[in-house]
Amino acid sequence: MNALALQFAWMYALSQLKLKYRYTFLGVFWNLIEPALFLAVLSIVFSIINKMDIADYAVFLFAALVPWRYFEKVVNACMESIVGGDWLLKKLPVSPFSLPVSRWMQATIEFSFSLAVVFAFYALFKPTWTSHLLVLPFAILAWSVASLGAGLIAAVLFTFFRDVKPLVQLVLMLLFFSSPILFRPDIFAEHTLQATLLQWHPLTYFAALFQKPIYFSAWPSLTDWCITTAIGVGAVAGGYVLVQSTKKHFYFYL
Amino acid sequence: MQNVAFKLDNVSVCFRRNAVLLRSLKQGLSQMVHRRAEEEFRALSNISLEIRDGEHVGLIGRNGAGKSTLLRVLTRVIEPQTGSVYTNGFKHVVPLLELGIGFHPDLSGRENCFLAGHLMGYSRSEIEQKIPDIIRFSELGDFFDQAVKTYSSGMYARLAFALATDVMPEVLLVDEVFGVGDEFFIRKCVVRMQRLMSAGTTTVLVSHNIDFLVRQCTRLIWLDDGKLVMDGEPHDVALEYRQQNGKAA
Repeated sequence: MNALALQFAWMYALSQLKLKYRYTFLGVFWNLIEPALFLAVLSIVFSIINKMDIADYAVFLFAALVPWRYFEKVVNACMESIVGGDWLLKKLPVSPFSLPVSRWMQATIEFSFSLAVVFAFYALFKPTWTSHLLVLPFAILAWSVASLGAGLIAAVLFTFFRDVKPLVQLVLMLLFFSSPILFRPDIFAEHTLQATLLQWHPLTYFAALFQKPIYFSAWPSLTDWCITTAIGVGAVAGGYVLVQSTKKHFYFYL
Repeated sequence: MQNVAFKLDNVSVCFRRNAVLLRSLKQGLSQMVHRRAEEEFRALSNISLEIRDGEHVGLIGRNGAGKSTLLRVLTRVIEPQTGSVYTNGFKHVVPLLELGIGFHPDLSGRENCFLAGHLMGYSRSEIEQKIPDIIRFSELGDFFDQAVKTYSSGMYARLAFALATDVMPEVLLVDEVFGVGDEFFIRKCVVRMQRLMSAGTTTVLVSHNIDFLVRQCTRLIWLDDGKLVMDGEPHDVALEYRQQNGKAA
């Protein structure tokens, strides 16, 4: 992907954002209200199920749910980006990377607005601010890299197999409900099957990058960083190779 | 490769006949398991040609002869399965395919000019300078700031042609742009095309209007069934094409 394609991806992301909010009453503020409402409902419901104090649970839940929703949004948006970009790919010679990358940029801008909600809730429910929060930009980077990689892979799969969309969404749902985003990982006793499964769950480590500094006021461990970095870099490398090796066939499937 | 705009060597392009069916995981897996042979349609078959700087080439042929596919290969929109394609990367190549130039239907004419202009290698300020001329030539008026999905096919083609030719391309590839648009606009287009051609722009035109191509081009290429039938002087190629009703002997 050259500089021209990257600049185009940025311009296209901005024009898509303008388009998205041009005719909405709440405009860009919808990005603040929508996650706030979603998080409020989930906090109330799951604090009762988990028998946790609602304020305490809200901070725990918001920590990893906001980056997860960003990840999910990137994968879903990227998935249809190449097929949805037929208006361009069939007319001008443009790098096919520019379309999923543009969707990723668009979701990342919207995610930065959602982060404001996290901090508003954090200020509301947890009065102590610790230096551990300084690690969050790196945590965002790890989630962002992984989401781009997963998005590239999903975009290629959807281009060739249009019925893969519900499968991808099913995998995302399974990953979410089996991950320690909704519940604390320490609710399972050590050496139980559930605890062992969580150790092998990639989202355990991604969630920890946000939960530890925000909820537990602790630094993410070296293992958390190593595993998330490896998964993120692996996903981007895999996605890149997949797009490069299949891009010459895209035209015939659009 | 001095003075060469394009060079194609044994280029072939195949389409799968059942590509639409194969767009599902179910069909893809079934194909893998049963190892069925894929039915293919050859849109271009072993095409070798060279287009030099400043040449004005017309592509003729019946429907489905491979003219548009060849234009897409030249623009690098389609990568051929076999053969090699050389395009002079230092030239500003502007393709005008299927009456369009890569316009997003939900974006306005202005926004699309900036996006497409950027892909053609022009900065925002360069396009901004050209906007008044583009509006004047396309005669879109207030529609210029409306979403292009609200345009008629004629308006769409006018905007695409105005943008493609206003940026003064070094190489212009045009696929049947005169198919829509009223008589007066077509006349304007022809005048502008002639101006570009005399200024040295290399042009490759696809059209069913043979008389127009004979008048404007310095060379005519006749394609049939994806094969190159004849390549030469416009009058000679047009005469042979008409005598054989467009079908290769």
